[in-house]
Amino acid sequence: MDGMKDAAPYIADALVVLGVFIMTAGVYGLARMPDIYTKIHAASKAVFLGAIALMAASFVTGEPDIIFRVILIAAALIVTTPIATHAIAKAAAERGEAMRTPGATNESTYDLTETEATILEPKGAARLRDFLGE
Amino acid sequence: MHETVFYIATVWMVGLLSACLVIMVRSRSAMVRVLALDTVTIMLIALLALYSDSRGVPYYLDAALVLALLSFVATIAASRYHSEGKVF
Repeated sequence: MDGMKDAAPYIADALVVLGVFIMTAGVYGLARMPDIYTKIHAASKAVFLGAIALMAASFVTGEPDIIFRVILIAAALIVTTPIATHAIAKAAAERGEAMRTPGATNESTYDLTETEATILEPKGAARLRDFLGE
Repeated sequence: MHETVFYIATVWMVGLLSACLVIMVRSRSAMVRVLALDTVTIMLIALLALYSDSRGVPYYLDAALVLALLSFVATIAASRYHSEGKVF
């Protein structure tokens, strides 16, 4: 038990370095991937796992107050991140964002071929203009 | 040594946060912007957890929890607005 207490800060350091490395990989993927569907793969999962690793570092060294709050935040992130990511991907497919990855095959019923329009107007914009009376 | 690791990690993550903000501003697709904003918020949560761990103060984590729940609602609202035209 005594040795465990001595080793805890080093385990926390290793977890912090691991989390920052995973986050760096996620942001690099967000910058380099060609289209939204591959960017979702890189950014969402990697950054979320990096945050979980940093919270595990807090879990190893922290006091009871910190540990309870960290468990709560990690549980909230685990529940909400897949739902938010799925909503983003579904919205991108419904808006017809193009797949730009070489050799990508579209197995869904959405039309995802490349078009000229890069910035699509949100579908709510027309409704908002009607509401505002412009 | 642990202080050094936490200091370097904090500086590095602030750099990552700035890079992610630049990606969000410069992107041409609206959904990539929503995704980058979600990523920025998760990294802010991680930064708050790191800061509260290095200071030994738990109160920053309350702000992190609120930020997690609010970013979920904001992402759902933005993607529903962009796909279906209404939020609810």
